[in-house]
Order: sequence, then structure tokens, then C-alpha cells
Amino acid sequence: MKIAVCIKRVPDMETRFRIAASGTAVDEAGLKYDLSDFDGYAVETALQLNEKQGPGETVVISLGPDVVQEQLRKALSMGAERAVQLKADRVPTDGLSIARALAAELKDGGYDLIFFGRQAVDSANATVGPMVAEMLGLPCATAVSSLDISSGRGTARRDLEGAAEIVDFALPAVVTIDEGMPRARYPSLKGIMAAKKKPLEVRAAQLGDESLTLEKMELPPERAAGRIVGEGPGAVAELVRLLHTEAKVL
Amino acid sequence: MRIENAVFLIVLLLAAGFFSYNVQRLLSYLSIALPDDRGGHPLVRLKNVITVAFLQKKILRDPVAGPMHALIFWGFCVLTAGTIELLLHGSFPAFSYDFLPTSLYQFYSISQDLFGALVLGAVAFAFYRRLVLHPERLEGDNLEHSDALIILGAIAGLMVTMFGVNAIELALDPESITRAKPLSFALSMPLRGLPIGLLNGAHAVFWWAHALLVLAFLNFLPYSKHLHIVSSIPNVYFSNSQGPGPKGVIRFLDLEAENVEQFGAADVDQMTWKDLLDGYTCTECGRCTSVCPAHLTGKVLSPRKIIIDTRRRLMEKAPLLLGDYSELAHHALVHGEGDEGSTSATAILEHRLLDNFITEEELWQCTTCRACIQECPVGIEHLDHIVDMRRNLVLMESRFPPEVLPTFESMERNGSPWAFRPDDRAKWAEGMDIPTMAELVERGESPEILFWVGCMGSFDDRSKKISVAFARILQAAGVPFAILGQEETCNGDPARRMGNEYLYQTLAKQNIETLTRYDVKTIVTFCPHCFHQIGNEYPQLGGNYEVIHHSTYIERLLEAGRVPFDTDAGKTLTMAYHDSCYLGRYNDVYDAPRETLRRALPIVTMVEPERTRDRGMCCGAGGGRMFMEETQGKRINVERAEQLLATGADMLAVACPFCMTMISDGVKAKDSEVPVFDISEVVASRLRA
Repeated sequence: MKIAVCIKRVPDMETRFRIAASGTAVDEAGLKYDLSDFDGYAVETALQLNEKQGPGETVVISLGPDVVQEQLRKALSMGAERAVQLKADRVPTDGLSIARALAAELKDGGYDLIFFGRQAVDSANATVGPMVAEMLGLPCATAVSSLDISSGRGTARRDLEGAAEIVDFALPAVVTIDEGMPRARYPSLKGIMAAKKKPLEVRAAQLGDESLTLEKMELPPERAAGRIVGEGPGAVAELVRLLHTEAKVL
Repeated sequence: MRIENAVFLIVLLLAAGFFSYNVQRLLSYLSIALPDDRGGHPLVRLKNVITVAFLQKKILRDPVAGPMHALIFWGFCVLTAGTIELLLHGSFPAFSYDFLPTSLYQFYSISQDLFGALVLGAVAFAFYRRLVLHPERLEGDNLEHSDALIILGAIAGLMVTMFGVNAIELALDPESITRAKPLSFALSMPLRGLPIGLLNGAHAVFWWAHALLVLAFLNFLPYSKHLHIVSSIPNVYFSNSQGPGPKGVIRFLDLEAENVEQFGAADVDQMTWKDLLDGYTCTECGRCTSVCPAHLTGKVLSPRKIIIDTRRRLMEKAPLLLGDYSELAHHALVHGEGDEGSTSATAILEHRLLDNFITEEELWQCTTCRACIQECPVGIEHLDHIVDMRRNLVLMESRFPPEVLPTFESMERNGSPWAFRPDDRAKWAEGMDIPTMAELVERGESPEILFWVGCMGSFDDRSKKISVAFARILQAAGVPFAILGQEETCNGDPARRMGNEYLYQTLAKQNIETLTRYDVKTIVTFCPHCFHQIGNEYPQLGGNYEVIHHSTYIERLLEAGRVPFDTDAGKTLTMAYHDSCYLGRYNDVYDAPRETLRRALPIVTMVEPERTRDRGMCCGAGGGRMFMEETQGKRINVERAEQLLATGADMLAVACPFCMTMISDGVKAKDSEVPVFDISEVVASRLRA
């Protein structure tokens, strides 16, 4: 099968973020980047499908400046055959703009499956996958935690709050991958060496106009320190009062 | 020349020829191996041969089997002189050592007799030990047992026939110069007066039996573990286990070499010639396995099996690689075509050492504690085999226990094995007025030492207290020091021991870059893993620093009277110190931590656990085991904690943050209240307020 996996470069979410001077981006100094977690699952799912089902090709695609090649190389070192960078100065805030560029790249690629992570762990929009499906006129299964592909059809499980859905669709299709799918494998050195020789094509991203722009970014308010009201049963009345009047949870 | 001499000469030449053919065959198998530079330092290597091989230093570590083996070995050395005389005499009857001065010849005669008797006694004990006592470490398959019994039988036969020949010669000629042999002379007494024809006949029988046994035994060597009498001396010579250079340094792997497509070893032709020579040399004595912490706690790993498997696989694969199919034909003849699916060349070539002989499970159980290497009397370096196979697993196949994945990823992303924020690295030092290198450089100062804190000391709650204690000692002693703060990252040791050389080199190069930028000369650390890695293994990547473990550093400060103590000597207590592998067996630091404790607490009584110093047992955390699940058998740290608690000590002392975690957990698992302290905490507790 020919599978495309669209991946995003994201900062390590364990970092304590600072807002950059522009006020519309995080300060990149000292940040470490990696493949977005869900995108890692997506690459792994594609690789395992092709390993199990015989000859195929896994193509990884990422949109952004040249630094995204680092994540493309990582996917190649995991085992993807080919990579495409859709070159842009920055990743736009507008998902529609990204979807447009990706759809243009994917349209004539002859892919049986197009994978995305459920959402990027940094911006958490979860919009690009479904938008691409819409533009290409393909069925789209989102937040899939288990996937079976056989004889040109897919069956996917979607874990919902308190329930699960099983959906069925014909290929080609767009699938966004959730937890539950296998974790991204650790690239072997052999894979890393092989990745250096694999093709990585660079094309200009056809973003078009942005219909959504980022106005302002701010950090969540600092959490105030806890307060000890008192000790023993005597403090209960005061605690209840504060919960009612200040915290307004009672 | 009489006819029997001529016959014997022909037999002798045939036997020698067959033996040299086999030696040449075994040497040719080494040609499939990778190169390994084991040259240089001939004096150190010769010293190792003298102490380890000839003086049997390691053999004698076993108080029972040690003297037994030493007697057989020294007997072999002495009696070989007699064997040569006998073989030459058989071919050229005129030959004898009697051209020597009489006193020397008599000395030689006595030595033959004496050592003959000693060897016979030792062999008798060896039979008793193997057949009646059944020491656990000699357990093996039938092939190993029959091998050992054939060897002992042959040695006994050689001694009996030697005494037979000597006794009959003396019965025939009681005035012979060889009457200096007291035992043979005594044995000859009852034979005197027997018909000369009978004696002559018996002499011929014993002589031929002895001579043929010598030659048969010689030719049995290449097919058995007794090959070690030929291979152990070169193996000890080329072994790095006793030096030259620091011990336990892992072989450098050039990741940027052109045209190299295999990293680590999955099979014998991806190992070095020293690894394969280890295989030839193994005597299957099991000393390694008997001290292995994994084996002792019921796990499948046996370092002995790793080495025997290496040899078995070599004997199976090397002939095929060299285009010799005769062994295969022999095997097919004996076992039938297709037996065990391994008689076809393709099947053998499709097999490999990893997986078909040695499982992944065995390899991941190793704590890299070096106890096996320390014990091995013939210079085998088990860890080279294990780490090389781990390298293949990780670098080639990305195979490792699943719980290791977050460890590798954290080391890559956060520069420590845990997912802590790198910017919290110096949080333990807040409010202590400890400068970072960056701050000092800005002020135009440079410290006397760099305190390398390590990931445990930076992030682990228990170990952070050790960082504080050591920093307080330095401050009290007025030592100008600095830390790297956020610029420090993991030294890479767990990655390297787990076979991830790529990650290791990335981290190590980054640290070397930082240390070079600050022109660091002297580093002090309380983590023996950082200590060993930066001091002994960074030189491979061009990082050369004086690295001192805090036990040594504190001892020096105490000796110089630089640490101001309170006058109160505290209460009397007994304390047991647990040796860290990377401090002790890797770096021979045994006395500094003990001396530090004694100086800090003058009224302390030190008690030693049964396994201590270079026989100390690992806490279970080394070799990346800290980051792996321990599911099989008993937990190593619990076993070690039991050993330490058995001393009855009021307090346990360690000098390694990993040991601290493991021993503390082990003590808790035993529901014991005995506290565990780092030696620096003991010292810091006595600082003048």
C-alpha cells in the first residue's frame, strides 16, 4: 500500500514555555523539538501496515522551514521510504491554509491511505486531517485507536468518552491516529544511517491566503500558593465559608 | 636404532603433525574475526601472565579448588620436562638429561617423583569433588562432564604409568641415578627379584601406555576444554582485565567509519579475535557464573554459558565460512541428514549466536558488575561479548525492553534518564550560594574543582541530599568549586552499557565540548558511574580530565585536616560499607570510603559483609538495569540488602547514588529500619555548625 503520513515538528511539551517578544509565538531559545506524539503513532502504524501486508511505500510529509527535515529524517530512520518537505517560512496558524498545501501535494500521489496524528500536541487544533479529506473528497475517520485494513476497506475503532464506535470505510481514506496505536519505534543506528541516503524532496508549500491569524499569546495565570485555613474541627466553618464565598464551588 | 624406536618416532611425528594441523585449524578460525588492538604494554601484560597464569593468583581465590588446580598446573610444568625426556628417549635411546650435573639431575628426579604424587593426589580430590561433592558451579551438560572426566582420567593415567615406568626401571637397576626418586624407589622394592623378562615386558607396556597417552592427550586438547593449557597464557597476555590501562573500559566503536554497516555483534564473525580466543580458553569452571548477581538471584544469565556458546558457535560456523565442509559431513554421518535441522550448511549459516544460542533475555539481565571478569582465572572478558551483542540489538535491530524506550528518549531530549526538566538541574543548590561555571567565568574566576553532580544528584530526591552534603563539606573546607548547572547532561553511561553507543557518543561529545569550553582540569563527583565514564572512557573521545571520586577527595581533605568537625564524637555504632562495582572492581577504590568513615566517626566499628571489596555483590542497578524491570527470580537489591543486614550493622554506608536507591529499597523490602547513608552525609553530619 502507498501510505502518506503528515507529520509536525513540535517543541518538547515538558518545557516551561516563555512568550517571545512578538507576543504571538513561544520563545524558541533552548527549546528541544521532536515529532508530535500522535504523528509518531501514525508513522509507526503506517510502517507496521506495510511490514505486515507486503510491498508498499510510506511517504512522510511535513510543512515548515528547513528544520522540519530533522523530523522527516527521524521518520525515514524509523523506516519510511521517502520524505517531502513543503517549504514555508513558518507553520501558519490557519489549519485551512496548511490543509490546502497538503491537499495539493497529496492529490495526485495515488495514496491508499493518508495518516495524520489526531492533533498536533502543541497547537491542538485537530483540523488539518479532516480538512484535507474534505478537499480530496475522501472518507475521514478521526481519533482512531485501532485499525484493520483488508481488501480495499478499512475498519477503525474510535474510543469516545464512555463508549466506542466502529466505523467502516473504503480506501483511499484519511485517518487520524489516536493513542492505542503502537508507539513510535526507536530508530536504530542502522536506520539512521540508511535515512541519510533516502530521498527528501523539497517543494514550496502552496499555502494561499490565511483566513485565521494569531493575535496574541499568553501564559496561563500563575497558580496562587495554597492557604492553610487552620487546624482541627474549628477550621471547618471557615473553610466552608471560603469555599462558598471565594472559591464559589459550594 | 631399534625397530620399536623407529616405530615410536613415526607415531611421535604423526601425533605432532596432527596436533599442529589442529592448532593451525583453530588459529585459522580466528581469521574470521574483527581486529582488536591488544598490543602495547608488554611489561604489564607479562606481569599479568606471571601472576595470573604462572602464580595462579586468581585460581587461588578459591580456597578448595585453588590449591588443587595449582598443584596440577605446577605439576604439569615440572612434569613436562620429564615427558620431553621420555619422548626423546623413546625415539633416540641414547637421549637422557643425565648429561646434567649429578646434583641437578637428582633435583630433577626428585621433582618428578614429588610432583607426580602431588598431581595424583590433586586429581583424586578433583574426581571426588566432581563426582561426590558436585559443586554447583561445575554443573553443565553431559558433554562438559564427560570432557572433564576424560581429562582427569588421562592425567591420572599419565601419573600411574609414569610411576610404573620409574618403579620398574629402579627394580631392574636399583643403583640407577634415578634412585633419587623416593616414591618410585619405594614402589620398586616389591618388584625386585621378579623375572627380568617379566619386568622388561611390563616396562614396555607401561612405557608405551604412558607415551601413547601423552600423545593421545595432546591431540585431545583441541577438541576439549583442556585446550586452555595452550590458549590461556596468550589469553591472559592479551586480556585487559588486569590492565594495562583502566579496567572495564568498553571498546570504542567508530560510528563514522566508512563502509561499516554492522554495529555490535550478532554472530561470531562480528566479534573480535580476543572474544573468540576467550571461547577457546574457557575451562568451563563456572567461577564467573558462581558470582554473577543475576545468576545468584535465579535469572537465566550465566556468563559461563555466554563464553561456551561463543566457542560452540565458532566451531560450527567458522569452518563453513572458510570453505571446510568436512565437519559438516562428519556431523551428518554421526547424526543423520537434517537432524535438529542444523546439518545443512544453509541452516547453520542462517543461524547466529544471538537468538539461536544466546537470548536477548540473558543479555539484558547483566548488571555489568565485572564480578565474572574479576573471578576468571584465564583473562576472559565476558562483558565485551555481552555489550557487543547489546549493541547489535539496539543499534541494528532496535530491540530492547520496552521500559528502556522512555529512558533513551529522555536522555536524548532532557539530557537525563528521567523526564525531568533540564532547567531544574541545579534546583537542589538553591540558596546554597554555589556558583555555576558560567557565573564564575563571567566574574573572571576559575574554581579549584568542578563538582560534577550527575543526574541522580540533580533530580533524585534522596540523592539531592547527597549533593547538598558534599557541597557543604566543600564549603566548610574552603574549597573553591563550581557546578555546571543546566549545562551538565547525563554522562551517557547507561546508554553505553545498554548498547546505545550512538546516544552515548552524542551525550559524551556534548559534555566534552562543555568541559573544554570552560577549560576544566579537575572534576569531583560522588557518582561512580560519572567517575568511571568521564575519567576512563571519555579519553576515547578526546576528553582528558583528572576525575576524583568524592570518597577519595573527602579522605584527602580529612587527612589534611581541612574539614572542621564538632568535638562530639557521636555514639558508638557499627557500620557496614557496601562496595559500588564502578568504584571498586572498576577502579580499585576500596579503602578511601572506609577510611573516610573511620576518620569521620573515630569510634565506628566497621563490619564487612561476606561478599566485600573485589568480591562485593552488585546492588543490581548497573549496566542500565536501573531502568529495566526485574521480573525473573529474586530481586538483586533485596539479596544484597539481606547480606548487608546480616552483618548486624546499625547503619549501612554507600558511595554511589544508584546503590543508595537499590540498597534503601532492599532494606525497606526487608521491613528493616537500618538507615542507609552516603559517606559524605556521614561526614557532613559532623561538620561544626
